[in-house]
Amino acid sequence: MTSSATQERIQAPLIPPSTHRFADVIHRLEAGGSMLPDTPENLKQIIGIYKAYAVPMDFYWRDLLYIAERVFLKPLPAFKYFISKEYLDRPNSYAGDQSKLRIWRGTEKAHPELLEFMERGETVRMPKLLHHLWHDRVNMEFAEACMQAMLWHQGMGGRFNDYLESDAYKANADRAIKAYFKRNPLMLALYALFPDMFLEQVRQLSYTANLGLFWEVMAPVFFEMSDLYDEGKLSSVPEAMDFLVNGIFAVAGRPIYHHLYIGEECYEIIPKSEGFTWLYEAALPYVEAVVYRTSPFRGTKRYNAQAQQVPPDQADFHYGILYADVFPVGSAGIPPTLLMQDMLHFLPPYLKDLYKQHKRGEEDELIQLGITFQRSMYNVTSAVIQALRCALLYPLDDTNPEHLMANRRFFEAQMDRFLRPEARLSDIQSQDYR
Amino acid sequence: MASILETAASVGAFNTLLAAVDAAGLRGALEGPGPFTVFAPVDDAFAALPPGTVQTLVDNPPQLARILKYHVLSGAYSREQLVAQDNWESLEGAPIPIRSQDPFEVKNATVVNADVVCDNGVVHVIDRVILPG
Repeated sequence: MTSSATQERIQAPLIPPSTHRFADVIHRLEAGGSMLPDTPENLKQIIGIYKAYAVPMDFYWRDLLYIAERVFLKPLPAFKYFISKEYLDRPNSYAGDQSKLRIWRGTEKAHPELLEFMERGETVRMPKLLHHLWHDRVNMEFAEACMQAMLWHQGMGGRFNDYLESDAYKANADRAIKAYFKRNPLMLALYALFPDMFLEQVRQLSYTANLGLFWEVMAPVFFEMSDLYDEGKLSSVPEAMDFLVNGIFAVAGRPIYHHLYIGEECYEIIPKSEGFTWLYEAALPYVEAVVYRTSPFRGTKRYNAQAQQVPPDQADFHYGILYADVFPVGSAGIPPTLLMQDMLHFLPPYLKDLYKQHKRGEEDELIQLGITFQRSMYNVTSAVIQALRCALLYPLDDTNPEHLMANRRFFEAQMDRFLRPEARLSDIQSQDYR
Repeated sequence: MASILETAASVGAFNTLLAAVDAAGLRGALEGPGPFTVFAPVDDAFAALPPGTVQTLVDNPPQLARILKYHVLSGAYSREQLVAQDNWESLEGAPIPIRSQDPFEVKNATVVNADVVCDNGVVHVIDRVILPG
């Protein structure tokens, strides 16, 4: 295993060229590159969008943990997006001076641009409730849609989902539910009548905690990449990918857990001692459920399942950003659009300038931004593919042809997922796709 | 004859592994009668992991224990026995594939020294840390 894919060099003559439809991309991956071509504009686009993504993500992870650990089973959680000060100030484990593994040089508290947006929104300074009702706020609905994709697809590797069905989990959840409702006889009576309904809600909250802990890592990773780029220390797409690969390894062993707090008391619904890790129980299921699969969005496009427009097998779902036609999904209320709207508020000036120069300028900024996000997620997925190759297979500079062929088969199998017509891998090879 | 951990300590090339076993609280278990088969990564194998990887695991003993248990089989198996079967169930629960007989390869690691027989099992020295998945 090596610390950097770019330090490795493939011994090209040792194995014949790939004959895969995406052979060029495969050869690039074998040379330590990304699925996204290495151009200065691609680098600018992906780093700019990582920064714009990290600011709302700084809210998502905090509020997800607030919901999982504090709001919990509140019967009418109308104020679940009104994050408490404690969670808004909650120190990020990977930023600030207190961090044991400092990824971002910045503050451990909420990002200043996020705080400014929470004050003013797109409109003017007004009470939080009015911002909320006017929908002038961070779109937490997007974060919850991602969580639901993870809950719904389930079984994508790791042991998290199996644990949610275990007797140990049911006993922990039961203890937490009874403690949470100990002064609410009506809810306790409902729990006695419909225990599985409550349990399923707690499972959803466990995925809420899972996603919050996942994004707590990704926000400082993206902030640091943006700072490095601004300093001229990230100068190529493969360097950006390698930063992600190294980040994936560095935090791979982070515990994934679900704790409920009632006052000062902590109820461990999924204890850290179960051994669940960021890589296996959060990152890999997230990428599979959200970046590849998700589900057909109810919006401008209708899908007819009986006409085979929706695959019978969940593993074949292909509604994630890697397959998205950004234009038709760009409608209000549809999860990717909610994220695009969130990112629009935090674009760095160089991306705003770039969008003004192309297509319809500011008029279709949201679409251009969505395609930039698509490019950036192909780079994140490349990092995941390289990290898995690094962890489970062989170095790119291995001199054993059989090992290189094993790497080749792995890369080809990954590229097979982009053979379907909806995939955007071909599109992102060109800078004209905007 | 010495135990698995005593043997590893005497060689001097397993300092990280031994420190990890202590951090994960697995010393007691591995000093037991077993028997176990341990695929022991050398210090260089841990050093080759990207910066921060080992430290995050050491800070979180249950997660570290999970990765270490992936290097252990219940029962003492020689190289000859291991290569007769494609997959072996690790103590972590995930299977360990035997990918090649000659050279002897366990998952994506090469066994650089096989069949080190100890009191409570067998050690096979490997050149990479193996990970479930």
